[in-house]
Amino acid sequence: MINNHPNTQLLTDYATGGLSMAPLISITTHLQFCDQCREAVSGLNILGGELLADCDEVDLSDDLLAQTLAMLDAPMETSAGAEVAVEAPRSSLCPDLANELPKYLHKFLNHQELEWRSLSSTLSVAAISVGEADYELALHRIDAGGKAPVHDHKGTELTVVLKGSFSDEDGIYREGDFLMREPGDIHRPSATQDQACICLSVLSAPIKLTGIKQVLNPFMRFNPS
Amino acid sequence: MNKPTGPDWNALLVKVGSHQDKAAFGALFSHFGPLLKGFLLKGGGVEPEQAEELVQETMIKVWRKAPSYAPTQAAASTWMYTIARNTRIDWLRKHAKKNHQTDELVAEDLFDENEESSPFTALIQTRNASNIKEHLNSLPQEQLQVLTLMYFQGKSGQEVADELAIPLGTVKSRVRLALQKLKLKLSPDGEEQVVYAS
Repeated sequence: MINNHPNTQLLTDYATGGLSMAPLISITTHLQFCDQCREAVSGLNILGGELLADCDEVDLSDDLLAQTLAMLDAPMETSAGAEVAVEAPRSSLCPDLANELPKYLHKFLNHQELEWRSLSSTLSVAAISVGEADYELALHRIDAGGKAPVHDHKGTELTVVLKGSFSDEDGIYREGDFLMREPGDIHRPSATQDQACICLSVLSAPIKLTGIKQVLNPFMRFNPS
Repeated sequence: MNKPTGPDWNALLVKVGSHQDKAAFGALFSHFGPLLKGFLLKGGGVEPEQAEELVQETMIKVWRKAPSYAPTQAAASTWMYTIARNTRIDWLRKHAKKNHQTDELVAEDLFDENEESSPFTALIQTRNASNIKEHLNSLPQEQLQVLTLMYFQGKSGQEVADELAIPLGTVKSRVRLALQKLKLKLSPDGEEQVVYAS
């Protein structure tokens, strides 16, 4: 049972195409787990269809249909939405996670070596580049029974639990749960004892270090505790 | 599907998928093409030629994806809407700053395609569509305005708030009120949170 969901505004932004890539990915990931939110999105898409059907028509150029018909038999271009075979993710991904990830994440991961960095004895992070300056996408792993350091949030953070579960001061979060943390929220997540917890996180406004090519993952800005 | 008059667009779309029927495609094109162009122009920020380019690109995707269309899952108009939305997202990204890393990632990869796994889809499709038809025109102007900005322009709640110079909370409550009037399901979250700007 999933107890934590994106709010209505986020689902609407999703359905209308108003989200950037990284938050879009976090919503899609939640939807893989959540029938209720899929139902809500499905209704929002129907509304889109009705708004389309209700629109004032604007005439097309006379030859547009003929032109388009002539293009139908042309070989597919990848840019036109052709199916691209998704390769198995690279081994840099921990093997037990490979099958849990939505297929589109594999596409990101096939382009980049996933580099797990330890942030503490029980917490590691692997940044995923989506090429957007405003967001950072990352996988976080807390070992079974491990605690993440206390940290606060410099920007809004969206988290989806992919595997295992973790808890903090406010509750326990299981597979598929979606959390939004606001700047200033301080918490200390810890994984449950039985297994490691892996989350997909999206953070807004990452901090860039001048002179260093790498974008500092904001998760590394922990308060000493 | 409960349909008033006119051709059965769902059936035509099935024909395109199962028989590569160009006459059926032509009929769909002639009906949905001008609607799509109207939809895109209403959003603004797109020139008429670009709108036609997008209509064309959308309809080519419709042709290619039609074999996976299932009328029990979505009405033709809903299905067209999602393809047009994704086409516009990709187009906007392509025309924004270049990004080599995710270039080959297209919007349809990012949107959930597993809706067929949801057992109530066909039922809610029918129920929602008739509720929307019944109540859409009686929405207060301010609610309709917010919805049309979001749908036609692909703007997030935050962007709509900026454009109308009203608080984000007002946008959010208008969206919620409108969806409730249309009897659409809200997030099970149920709780007001600060929305995530995009």
